[in-house]
Amino acid sequence: MTSPLSSIALFHLGPVPISEGVVTTWAIMLVPILGGFLLGRRLSLVPSPTQAFLELIVEAVDSQIRDTMRVEPDPYRAFIGTLFVFIFLANWVTLVPGVEPPTAHLETDAALALLVFLAVIRFGVRAGGVRGYLASFASPNLVMVPLNIVESLTRSFSMMVRLFGNVMSGVFVVGIVLSLAGLLVPIPLMALDLLTGAVQAYIFAVLAMVFIAGVVNDAKRPAATAPERKIP
Amino acid sequence: MTIDWWTLGIQTINVAILVWLLGRFFWRPVATMIEQRRNVAQTMLKEAEASQKKAAATLTEIEKTRAGFRAERDAILAAAQKEATAAATSRLAEEVTAAATREVAARAAIAQERGDAEKAWARSAASLATDIAGRLAARLDGTAVRAAFLDWLLQGIRALPESVRQAAAAEGVSLVATTATPLEPVEQDRCRALIGEALGGNAEIAFRVDPTLIAGFELSGPHLEVANSWRADLARIQKDLAHDG
Repeated sequence: MTSPLSSIALFHLGPVPISEGVVTTWAIMLVPILGGFLLGRRLSLVPSPTQAFLELIVEAVDSQIRDTMRVEPDPYRAFIGTLFVFIFLANWVTLVPGVEPPTAHLETDAALALLVFLAVIRFGVRAGGVRGYLASFASPNLVMVPLNIVESLTRSFSMMVRLFGNVMSGVFVVGIVLSLAGLLVPIPLMALDLLTGAVQAYIFAVLAMVFIAGVVNDAKRPAATAPERKIP
Repeated sequence: MTIDWWTLGIQTINVAILVWLLGRFFWRPVATMIEQRRNVAQTMLKEAEASQKKAAATLTEIEKTRAGFRAERDAILAAAQKEATAAATSRLAEEVTAAATREVAARAAIAQERGDAEKAWARSAASLATDIAGRLAARLDGTAVRAAFLDWLLQGIRALPESVRQAAAAEGVSLVATTATPLEPVEQDRCRALIGEALGGNAEIAFRVDPTLIAGFELSGPHLEVANSWRADLARIQKDLAHDG
């Protein structure tokens, strides 16, 4: 059993090592991409059962964005929905024998957290401009600027560690039990691991929404609520 | 524990590409389709609402038209009933008038018939009475009756105007004395003398017998006519009865 903390390169593309997690990620990516591409071309006003299921997913994501962010979901749907779908599929890929979830490796979780960090900046700048986004660090006052900067880094780091710890621990425990007790004993733990994977995907998406909503609201607020300057 | 930065970068790019691709081929088309369906549903709901309003308006119009029909029907019925009543009243009045006219005409006809019948019966009764009287008077013919009639004849002659009597007694004028039964020559002479005396001259008188006189003495000539017999009396009575009837 290899350590989940290490990333083993399967092959190299020039100087670039391609790890097992990357290959698994590519395989996972193919499923929603091909499915979305094929089903997206057959959409109709009278939905098929498959289309109805896909629309149910979209409606659920939209509803969650509205409830959590209090904004219209259109600009955030693709990012939040893709995060949830990818993490969910990556966590559940353990159902395939011999395949480890990419989220059990720190690089993938770091990449997801990095994307959330960048998305927070992008949506913050789009909502209030560069000035508005930078002013959001001074919320509620200038004293909080250092703390808000640290928070913006540490919360992304905490997201990474949370996802990594939960998924990796599940894989680690199942691997230990499997090596000790044989075939059927790890099944309850694997089921628990699936539940944990689904919950972690939801938590990661919700935290991303919360962070984005926080910075979007803070970036909008100074322009909206700035007191008028009195002319002497 | 180490982090493979290449893997971190590749995974970041992978997820970013996945976000872009799914946003391009999955999230946006499906959301657009949901929006289209929502718009179509809202359009259909609006159309259905418009149709419902239109149907309600049409129903109201139909109800109004139906009420108009009902009012028009009532008006037509009322007018027809009024017209029928007027026609019935008029017809009744006409019938009453016609019946009254017919009644008057019938009464007049009945009265006319009754009058005619009464006249006919009166004539018949008069005829019967004169017939009976004639038959009864025929049994009275005799000397006394002839004397009475002669006396009435003489009175009649004397009642004539003087000029008539002179004309009748003029020479060359012949008179005819008619009796119901033949007279004896002696009786004729006596009558001739009495008549001549009444006329005031010697009249030339010829005697003739006519049984239809029943009884009596009549004198006729070119200038006079003295009817003095049962037949003349009965004829006069019958004429009077007929006139009275």
